[in-house]
Amino acid sequence: MSGPFRLDGGALDRSRSLAFRFDGTALTGHPGDTLASALLANGVRLVGRSFKYHRPRGVFTAGSEEPNALVELGSGAHREPNTRATVAELFDGLEAFSQNYRGSLRHDLLAANDLIAPFLSAGFYYKTFMWPKSFWEKVYEPAIRASAGLGRLSGEADPDSYDKGFLHCDLLVIGAGPAGLAAALAAGRSGARVILADEDFVMGGRLNAETHEVNGRAGADWAMDAVRELDSMDRVRLLLRTTVVGAWDHGVYGALERRTDHLAESGGKPRQVLWRIYSRRAILAAGATERPIAFGGNDRPGVMLAGAVRAYANRFAVGAGRRIGLFTNNDDGWRTAADLAAKGVEVAAVIDVRDRDPLAEVPGARILTGGRVTATWGRRGVRGIELATGERIALDCLTVSGGWNPNVHLTCHHGGRPVWRDDIAAFAPGGSLPAGMTVAGAANGNFTAAAALAEGHGAAVAVLDGLGFSAAAGDPPGASDEAAAVSAFWHVRESRGRAWLDLQNDVTVKDVVQAHREGFRSVEHLKRYTTLGMATDQGKTANVAALAVMAEQTGRTIAETGTTVFRAPYTPVPIAAFAGRSRGREFRPTRLTPSHDWAAARGAVFVEAGMWLRAQWFPRPGETHWRHSVDREVMQTRGSVGICDVTTLGKIDIQGRDAAEFLNKVYANGFARLAVGKVRYGLMLREDGICYDDGTTARLGETHFLMTTTTANAVLVFRNLEFARQCLWPGLDVHLISATEQWAQFAVAGPNSRSLLRKIVDPEYDISNEAFPFMACGAVTVCGGTPGRLFRISFSGELAYEIAVPARYGESLMAALMAAGEEFDAVAYGTEALGVMRVEKGHAAGPELIGQTTARMLGMQRMVSKKKDCIGNILSERPEMNREDGLELIGFRPVDRSQELPSGAHFLAPGAEPTTANDEGWMTSVAWSPELGHAIGLGFIRNGHVRIGETVRAWDGVRGRDVPVEIVSAHFLDPEGERLRG
Amino acid sequence: MADFALEPRAPLGGYAETLGRVTLAEATGLALVSAAVPNGGDEAFAAALAEGLGAARPAAGDSVAGDRYGARLLGMQPDQLFILFEAPDPDRAAETVADALGPAAYVTDQSDSWAMLRIAGAGVRAALERICMLDLDDAAFPEGRVARTVMEHLAVIVLRDGPDSFLLMSPRSSAGSFLHAVEVSVENTAG
Repeated sequence: MSGPFRLDGGALDRSRSLAFRFDGTALTGHPGDTLASALLANGVRLVGRSFKYHRPRGVFTAGSEEPNALVELGSGAHREPNTRATVAELFDGLEAFSQNYRGSLRHDLLAANDLIAPFLSAGFYYKTFMWPKSFWEKVYEPAIRASAGLGRLSGEADPDSYDKGFLHCDLLVIGAGPAGLAAALAAGRSGARVILADEDFVMGGRLNAETHEVNGRAGADWAMDAVRELDSMDRVRLLLRTTVVGAWDHGVYGALERRTDHLAESGGKPRQVLWRIYSRRAILAAGATERPIAFGGNDRPGVMLAGAVRAYANRFAVGAGRRIGLFTNNDDGWRTAADLAAKGVEVAAVIDVRDRDPLAEVPGARILTGGRVTATWGRRGVRGIELATGERIALDCLTVSGGWNPNVHLTCHHGGRPVWRDDIAAFAPGGSLPAGMTVAGAANGNFTAAAALAEGHGAAVAVLDGLGFSAAAGDPPGASDEAAAVSAFWHVRESRGRAWLDLQNDVTVKDVVQAHREGFRSVEHLKRYTTLGMATDQGKTANVAALAVMAEQTGRTIAETGTTVFRAPYTPVPIAAFAGRSRGREFRPTRLTPSHDWAAARGAVFVEAGMWLRAQWFPRPGETHWRHSVDREVMQTRGSVGICDVTTLGKIDIQGRDAAEFLNKVYANGFARLAVGKVRYGLMLREDGICYDDGTTARLGETHFLMTTTTANAVLVFRNLEFARQCLWPGLDVHLISATEQWAQFAVAGPNSRSLLRKIVDPEYDISNEAFPFMACGAVTVCGGTPGRLFRISFSGELAYEIAVPARYGESLMAALMAAGEEFDAVAYGTEALGVMRVEKGHAAGPELIGQTTARMLGMQRMVSKKKDCIGNILSERPEMNREDGLELIGFRPVDRSQELPSGAHFLAPGAEPTTANDEGWMTSVAWSPELGHAIGLGFIRNGHVRIGETVRAWDGVRGRDVPVEIVSAHFLDPEGERLRG
Repeated sequence: MADFALEPRAPLGGYAETLGRVTLAEATGLALVSAAVPNGGDEAFAAALAEGLGAARPAAGDSVAGDRYGARLLGMQPDQLFILFEAPDPDRAAETVADALGPAAYVTDQSDSWAMLRIAGAGVRAALERICMLDLDDAAFPEGRVARTVMEHLAVIVLRDGPDSFLLMSPRSSAGSFLHAVEVSVENTAG
């Protein structure tokens, strides 16, 4: 026997013992135990301290609604706080620690909070810590934070792995109690594709906790057979240890499957899987949650829900005490007394608030109808109770039943509201359910086993009929109806001591009364003011009784008072499960350029550009600063020839009879008359006339174009073009397909670029300046017949080309270009040198195209052709976007050439205060020009083009810089463009 | 004779592994060419497919086999299909299709755009359900079915090419990330 409180029977494997530790004490249990049942079996009643007053607390429930028995499981980085002992499956070697105390669990120093409880009532934060104001941040808040909260995080990275997944079914059955099993059986037998999910580690729900009979057999045995039959069906999937946590649109449900939490070792497999379940229909058979009655001292360890104590006795073979009492307002509670007595546990008293005849003979028990429990006593656990009559009864466990609340949560996730039913004194699912959902059994307010079985079966038959499954679903399983009448009795008015409503948040009846007195009438305000219903249990045992107290105060009915909103998740989901695999380097995919491995082998430093990794520069031995590498790459390119992988630029293959007209409409400048074999720079506007992307487009044939976009906007441009093609001008014959991945493309720039390419491009292609001038393009073959494309375009301002080959040849071409360039001392250059060269040429890029940039700001207003229509044309004419004194892109250089320039600095007139009113613009891009030997910058400044020669200040308050700068042309090098045409 | 010759490299370097009940292998040597149907050119397109490739036109989401080049035609969207085939000259894949279809289609080479990974074996669906949101059940996704989807943020084209076999195509530049995602799924569901 594992523990002094073990009873006979139960669904345990007694042939095996499991050793576990609680706060360092070695204990044993059996397979089939939860941590809570094993603790109770060993007589451990004090398992934690309450949130606010640090009151001793014990196991209160037998399920996921547990407010008290929160423990830390595991140690080191594996430690997980706030785990409910009632759902933690016992395994050999489990280590659990109680939480929320200072000192020890038995002697918690913070229990002193309980002595000053009158000062810590609802809303005390808002009233107490008002003065002096400066104390809040330094004194009050740290002190409150130090004493608040429940468990402790490990502070280390989670060593476990998590996964996600996607499942599909005709019917999702949520909950495998009597209603869920009956539904799944009916659906499975008719051939439907079924998923049956249950949060427990044994299916059967209350059938495992009760002594019901189904089809003339013990309910638990019937459930086991039902599960076996379901498991044998190909189209049925059973998800144990899986909580359906939320209902989303279109029949999508979220479910958390705990796959290895019940094992000592995960075996390298994901600990939990967060499933997205696509269902055609769903049956919610989530059962019901018992609620307590509030009375003085009802939070002591040993005061437990009656149904939970029944579950511990029947399923886990544990007596929650040696001398047990029952305090109930309903028929169901009596089952606890009867079942305990049948198990040989002494039942001291049955106290029913109702004046009625005893429902059952309970041997040895005092039967007190119309009775009230007003108080309890006992230091770390209940030792007795006092009744309204003044009578005192010694006992070590008081079971309480205040009726049952249907688990309506998932019915409300689409904004539906539950409806109050007087006959069951509870909220039941309302009329507005998520589409495709049916509710059955206790979740629907039909609490008896017979009703649950019948309704589950019936719901499935109706759903199957709607889905067109006609095969026989079989007969519904039968059971006898047990008594289930209830009275609406919420709290004992005669109690003088604190009567607890929300055990997890230490909210009492008095707190609710006080909240009402202070004007908090809405339940949502009540919740926020008192913290009622917050944290891990979301008030599953607390909310309805608190609403009832509020209703009494306002004189309204509970139906009028209403509930707070139910939101997903139903039970806590670790953030790690939401993250799944998306951690560290796996947070998002990585895109590699064709020359990536080549660059990595040469020590390139990479930079992230969206998902791409691009070579930023290629350090060489002896270079101690990135500027050394970048300056060298720029100088060598401008002096001879440089090569850069530009594959990341978006490439869109555009074909069709109307492709030219289409381009004419999507670019601000004209494309209709672009000749075959030519490339043109294009500027793209949004509908609102703002410039959002630019690039070049080549005409490869009469009906065939290749557009390039910026790396960052490749997807956006493609999406916009598809929208334009499909929605704006469906009559045009235009077809798009991405070619970004298809072609490896390299910029070959510098005065020796042509000489180098003559060694690569096959000799039958004439690439002389006459035959292949600036802005020419065409198909070529390279390296003895490999197909390629050549474009004579330049971002660097040098004589330059871009050469493309199918991506599979990209790495090889990079190596060939470098080998062919050896005689010219060719250099591979990265994005940083690319950036320097484009600033030297005054080209706008990402820092300039910021979503507020007009063509006029870029000096490109004449490119917005007024001879044709294009996207954004009309709105680009708005007066504010065309002010003569508007911002204009222009160049800047430091007056003192030895100074560096701060990117992001704002321009101010000499002597002007740095205020918004005096702000004249800002520096968008800066670089060190190795050719000029000083820093250069691009920026937007009011009326820039007429201010060349003027001196302003580049003021950077963040970095504490204030640099006098001269306004100059943005074309720092070769303003006439002679090099690129050479 | 040119001074330099270019060597092709497969997106996954010819990867092939068996992990428990699942085999993963890069499909190499296949050409992929898109063919878009000119507006109003459906009849000519169907005729060209029959004439040039010995194939019917698949609806979007379906695929059909052609008589020539071991071709399989994948219906990708209403006016576009992909032709997966064994090209006599991989460097002329688009030209091969253009020659076969004439002016009835706009063709674009996609051979290098996609890494192709075949996943097969008894554990294939269990592995894929960790990353693939599509329903791959027999009834919903029979052999020959094709779909575009997203796995781990990556675009993927799924073609069911056998009872327990799927050809997955994902962009070349992120092929390493894609392979990793599939491998993790197989490992997470093995054994």
